[in-house]
Amino acid sequence: MSIITATNLTKNYPNPELPGQSFTAVNKINLRVNAGEIFGLLGPNGAGKTTTLEMLEGLNKIDEGSILIDGIDVKINPYEVKKIIGVQLQSNEYFDRLNLSDLLILFASLYSTTTNPKELLAKVNLEDKLYAKPDDLSGGQKQRFSIACALVHSPKILFLDEPTTGLDPQAKHNLWNLAKDLNKEGMTIVLTTHNMEEAEYLCNRIAIMDKGLIIAQGTPQQLILEHAPEPPKAPLHGNIEDVFLALTGHGLRD
Amino acid sequence: MLTKLQLHLASIFVKIFYRDRQAIFFSLLFPLIFTGIFLFADSEPDPLKLGLVNKSKDELSIQFTELVKKEKIFTVKEGSENELKAELIAGDQTAIIIIPQSFNNISDPGQLRLLLDASQVRQVDAIKDSLEATLLSIERDLRNTEPMFLLQLEDVKARPQRYIDFLLPGILAYMLMNLCIGGSGFNIVEYRRRGILKRLFVTPIKPKDFIISIVLARMLIIMIQLSVILAMAIGLLKINIIGGLLPLYGAILFGAFIFLCIGFFLGSLAKTQESIRPIVLLFTFPQLILSGIFFPISSLPDMAQPIANILPLTVIASSMRDIANDGASLFAMNLNFLGIILWVVISFFIATKYFVWQKIAS
Repeated sequence: MSIITATNLTKNYPNPELPGQSFTAVNKINLRVNAGEIFGLLGPNGAGKTTTLEMLEGLNKIDEGSILIDGIDVKINPYEVKKIIGVQLQSNEYFDRLNLSDLLILFASLYSTTTNPKELLAKVNLEDKLYAKPDDLSGGQKQRFSIACALVHSPKILFLDEPTTGLDPQAKHNLWNLAKDLNKEGMTIVLTTHNMEEAEYLCNRIAIMDKGLIIAQGTPQQLILEHAPEPPKAPLHGNIEDVFLALTGHGLRD
Repeated sequence: MLTKLQLHLASIFVKIFYRDRQAIFFSLLFPLIFTGIFLFADSEPDPLKLGLVNKSKDELSIQFTELVKKEKIFTVKEGSENELKAELIAGDQTAIIIIPQSFNNISDPGQLRLLLDASQVRQVDAIKDSLEATLLSIERDLRNTEPMFLLQLEDVKARPQRYIDFLLPGILAYMLMNLCIGGSGFNIVEYRRRGILKRLFVTPIKPKDFIISIVLARMLIIMIQLSVILAMAIGLLKINIIGGLLPLYGAILFGAFIFLCIGFFLGSLAKTQESIRPIVLLFTFPQLILSGIFFPISSLPDMAQPIANILPLTVIASSMRDIANDGASLFAMNLNFLGIILWVVISFFIATKYFVWQKIAS
């Protein structure tokens, strides 16, 4: 059952190089995300991944098309949608002088709910950082804290925007395990990435974007079968005797 | 009615501010310096150092010298002309008065010469006037003549009015403006640049709740900051708030609302942290000059006065001054109150109209 359905989604921006003209960042794309799956949006830089994600999150105006999230129209009722989604953004900046516990309580209050900061931080392996400031965290810890902020209201869908960019392999694997664990608990996850290993390891289904268009969509296996190039032919080996024998047979003649 | 969310958010903004020890230190340092300057400036003026050369040496001139010495505004040193002249040039004396030999001659007493170093004494005229007046009264005492008339200064409003009484409400209003614009305009630009606004707006918080909570928090912080200054002014500088504190706080609240809203507007205009500074300066600096903070608007050129009278800082500062100095009511139906209402409407309109939420994401 699909939990996100985007139809003919389009976004235009003013063209910085040609004043007065616009360029299409996202061009009439159709997306479907099933409940309980990890869905990946892949593509090179500037493909339109983040813009698509921001439209799904209700953060960016939808120029054309529509999005239904859990049956709610994002265009008509963005605030209702925001209540059931959790979002981790690329930037990880927070108010100064608040520690992780303060920030989690703050985010919970924005959803008119309460949270137990200690439990939530334990979930993302940061239980000993309850009174640390975000600036004191490492890159991987910051990303995990960012996810903790997105989980304060136990959302149905979690959006992750390039969650492992800039992380070392250990931090990357740690974050993948976290995403898998959350998914096992039933959370639908939509992520953008340009890390192929991440897409293949994490995602149940993938959409590949380029120049504002979705150019392929399916499970990693399907996409490999359909689009992966033919394996190269084995290099020739042997000599002319092998050729002679191959053509005339191995049997003795007299 | 305020919601639980707005109050909770406001309390968090207050918490953020009060964990900023540097901000607290400087916000308390300013009132201390301000009060200190006026405590010092308000003390008795230093007496004028007056050299006295008596060329006459007769009874009348000695009597005159004694009377001059009794005057509190002078510190008199007697000596020879040359010796005192050297001290005048060195700056040890402010002026020298020379009693001529013919002082005793009633029909032709000659001139009392006054030597001054014009390069060292900027206010020669003022010194001359006060000397002349003092000497004249001494002369009258000596000759036992009554002055023909006496000029007695009386304030029509029958209250002691010092410069600090005039200055304080204006300074409070000016501080109010700066604190508000710093608290909303600069913060918004910073929050937007760092992506904090974007992070907030992926949650279900509505822009209105966000603005109201910042306004609430800033109002509380500003009230506390201004209260510290007011307490010092009342306690140490003996400022008398004739109209009472309640109407004064009312005017401060209106002012805080107006300037916070204008701050949101200026913060929306500025795209970068670099551009917010000149934009804010363009708004605040002319008002510092034109809004009658340091001197009355009536001393401005005639052409500038109508503009000066409608500035937001003018209406707030004038209202605060009317309340503090004249005991006026906040809601007195005068032009200042009309101006306040007008600015409340204008500032709220431009703050909400131009606070471009959609731009947060881009």
